[in-house]
Amino acid sequence: MNVAPRSPILDRRALGRALSRAADAALADILATPRDESRHLARRIGVTGPPGAGKSTLIAALARHRLARAGQVAIVAIDPTSPKTGGSILGDRIRMDGLVDDPRVFIRSLASRSATDGLADNLPEILGVFDDFGFDEIILETVGVGQAEFAVRDLVDVELLVLSPGAGDQIQAMKAGILETADIFVINKADQPDAAKVEAELKATLALTAPGEPPPVLRVRADAGENIAALDAAIEHAAEHQAAHGPDARRRRVRQRVRGLVWRQLTAVLARLPQEALDQPLPALYAAVLAGLAAGPAG
Amino acid sequence: MSDTLETPAVPTTLLKGKRILVAKPGLDGHDVGAKVIALALRDAGAEVIYTGLRKSPGFIARVAVDEDVDAVGLSILSGSHKELVADSIAALAQEGASAIPVFVGGTIPAEDVAMLLDLGVKAVFTADMKLDDVIAEVAAGLRGQPT
Repeated sequence: MNVAPRSPILDRRALGRALSRAADAALADILATPRDESRHLARRIGVTGPPGAGKSTLIAALARHRLARAGQVAIVAIDPTSPKTGGSILGDRIRMDGLVDDPRVFIRSLASRSATDGLADNLPEILGVFDDFGFDEIILETVGVGQAEFAVRDLVDVELLVLSPGAGDQIQAMKAGILETADIFVINKADQPDAAKVEAELKATLALTAPGEPPPVLRVRADAGENIAALDAAIEHAAEHQAAHGPDARRRRVRQRVRGLVWRQLTAVLARLPQEALDQPLPALYAAVLAGLAAGPAG
Repeated sequence: MSDTLETPAVPTTLLKGKRILVAKPGLDGHDVGAKVIALALRDAGAEVIYTGLRKSPGFIARVAVDEDVDAVGLSILSGSHKELVADSIAALAQEGASAIPVFVGGTIPAEDVAMLLDLGVKAVFTADMKLDDVIAEVAAGLRGQPT
């Protein structure tokens, strides 16, 4: 990969507004003017892992290394929406304060809204805006709910799973899902006493789960910047081994995109369902929901 | 102070779909009030971004623009509200974002409120106000704003 020139982001206001339009776009508008899926220009690095593993701090440390390779880096951080009020606190970027002064970095916080797969509504459209603005790389931080989070796999070129010491039980809980899909495993807070133990457990579990060459497992300290250069190199290596622009990757992205759109429509149909509809026998209810989906987007 | 810690009596969705930045400019080190407001905004349906303590006006404007927020709330207890508010509004203008409405909360003497409104602040909130009233006033201030 060529080292891109140091290029400041020229019109942040226009980019910020374009991201809002993409995030708020109604289903009908997305279907009316679909984005060209082959225009996937920025490399996408997904960062997932349980809450408290240190994903945001790791991204802050990693971005500095990625900037040496890429001209402009976007960071997209997703936090959960309260299903009760629709509100959310978007708090990931507070760990990335040191990057705010860098004119080559753009951090955007997203609320998950109706998505329950660790991602956010309209995420493919939102990421596409960064392609339109000529970004070289996007680092995507998922909600961090754990086992459910493998939808991100279909959207990114390289996927990192971040764990921290004390995560032994989490490894057990996750082994059927994300452990099979991540490209690189990161054990953060490597100075804590249980780090070696977690590493051993993880490697043992990976040996059982993943056939073939085991994926890299790296111990880092995001807060002190320790071993982040090795992680940066591992990402570069993994990216080179991904056929990110091939037809398979494109189809995976399309699959995730259509799944997201149908999910959003399903959420809307269920919300509109009158209370008494829920008293019907299950087959009738199921048919009613399918009919609601077939009726098309309500916006 | 006890008034500001109550939870809203009736949960509302007055701010659903709105993105709001709660920011702490200047040097004071207390953010209980800012956090209470952030949670109240969230409970009214807003997507809230909080900057953390001791941020410069330039930093706040950068975050407001990148996050394309619908409003910026400045929490100031240090007494330097005149300078900090003026500098924050100037920083927003410099980033091409003077259209983003600015609200101010904190320890603001009554006699300074008119001065802050003259600087372009949409509304000023003091610690004795009920949270429901703050939310209602923010919602009213955002109504009719270009989105």
